[in-house]
Amino acid sequence: MSKATQLYGYHANHAKLTEFAGYEMPLWYTTTTDEHLAVRNTSGIFDVSHMGRFIVKGPAATSFLEGLVPTDVQSQPAGKAFYTLLLNDRGGIIDDLIIVRISEDRYLLVVNAANAQIDMEHIAGHTPGGLELEDLTATTAMIAVQGPRAFESLQPLTGLDLGQLKRFRSGETKIMGAESLVSRTGYTGEEGFEVIVYDSTNERPEKAMKIWEKLATTSIPCGLGARDSLRLEAGFPLHGSDMDKDTNPFEADLAWVFSAGKVGYVGSDAISEFRKVPPAATRRGLVLGSGIPRHGFDVVDADGEVGTVTSGTFSPILHKGIALARIRQDHSDFGTKVGVLVRESRQEGIIVKPPFYDEQLYGWKRQKGK
Amino acid sequence: MDFQGYNIPDDLLYTKEHEWAKEEGTIVRVGITDYAAKTLNDVVYVTSPKPNEKVEQFKSMGTVESIKAVSEIYSPVSGTVVKVNSQLDSHPELVNKSPYGDGWIIEVKPTNYASEKKSLLDAKAYAAHLNGLVTQ
Repeated sequence: MSKATQLYGYHANHAKLTEFAGYEMPLWYTTTTDEHLAVRNTSGIFDVSHMGRFIVKGPAATSFLEGLVPTDVQSQPAGKAFYTLLLNDRGGIIDDLIIVRISEDRYLLVVNAANAQIDMEHIAGHTPGGLELEDLTATTAMIAVQGPRAFESLQPLTGLDLGQLKRFRSGETKIMGAESLVSRTGYTGEEGFEVIVYDSTNERPEKAMKIWEKLATTSIPCGLGARDSLRLEAGFPLHGSDMDKDTNPFEADLAWVFSAGKVGYVGSDAISEFRKVPPAATRRGLVLGSGIPRHGFDVVDADGEVGTVTSGTFSPILHKGIALARIRQDHSDFGTKVGVLVRESRQEGIIVKPPFYDEQLYGWKRQKGK
Repeated sequence: MDFQGYNIPDDLLYTKEHEWAKEEGTIVRVGITDYAAKTLNDVVYVTSPKPNEKVEQFKSMGTVESIKAVSEIYSPVSGTVVKVNSQLDSHPELVNKSPYGDGWIIEVKPTNYASEKKSLLDAKAYAAHLNGLVTQ
């Protein structure tokens, strides 16, 4: 039987539902295109309560996480959030995640819903004594507020000065009276926040529902359809599509996640071996002149296959088919012309550096006042 | 007629794969149904055969794509394509806005429609087919 988030009652009344990672989730409320554009132009809200949320705490928490992920942990100040990876012994990617250092020795790990159980087993399997590991997924709600007007939508609900919260910083506060954690993070490329509502439970979801319904008066509710098209347009990889447990992180353009000189984490021996040979492929953006690329389509040049589309969609901003693709290193220069086999026909494409939109006009770097 | 909010015009014939056919003089106009369009949610791309190409009843004649999904279009009729709705190149959303009107996809000069249309569903039969799908 599928699981439901605390906001399921709203989705069941307002959205087309779909099952995702064992949860009944909203696919869209109106249309994916309208929801996508709302996030690029105004503000949208997403129920992301299905994502796994684990607390790691105790005096040994920092040294434990230091041995778990390839990104330096001890230098992260309290309140900092950072993107990193869980690796297996072969250096493959078990999952990607955000870690929030809430305070000196208390951390929150936010992982992909589809991998939450595998991640928990992996983490628990490496846990030494004297460490507390707690799964908050079923006992909290999580809402993303994203878009150039996300600030105006969320600020009236909290005493925390969101203007003072820098990107990838977080703070604990009350939202409409409910104990919460707010991070200035997201998965859309836009300005925005992710809110975890602590004191709301599956049995008593009223506090989370009240916050959602209040936000829905100033932001557009968005489903998983827009969540996927937005992340792809921003160029963010999705675990399970663009990378998996067999992916060499250097072939997924994730070298930046590895802190210089760091060793001694799970998978670091395999990573040291990967470093000795140049990666055979890398992750790149592709824009097509016509047609929509989809996962698994071949990328070709005149002599044959040079890569594979790992995720693709139609960009509502560009009005073109876009993709993330795994491209052979010798064909990966930006501006390289390639073909994509869209079913029976070859469509012309060009290799680009994501995000796919003009950063002067869209995304968190945009010029304000436009 | 109307089935749970899905429009099913009485004067058209339908396939189980959610295409419609409308006889207009010597040609047959083809499109996808309101149910198909609403299920796709937002049509962003349509591929269809070109004029003079042959289509065959119940064989794939193109695709209609939303942001998330690709769906095959199966021709309700065999024959030669005489006209393609070129408006869909720049306005694929017409398939959602007007699936039986401006969102039509191709026009076909049929080879054997008098016999083939016996394998198509009328509005009532198509509504019963939808009823089977949504109550599954």
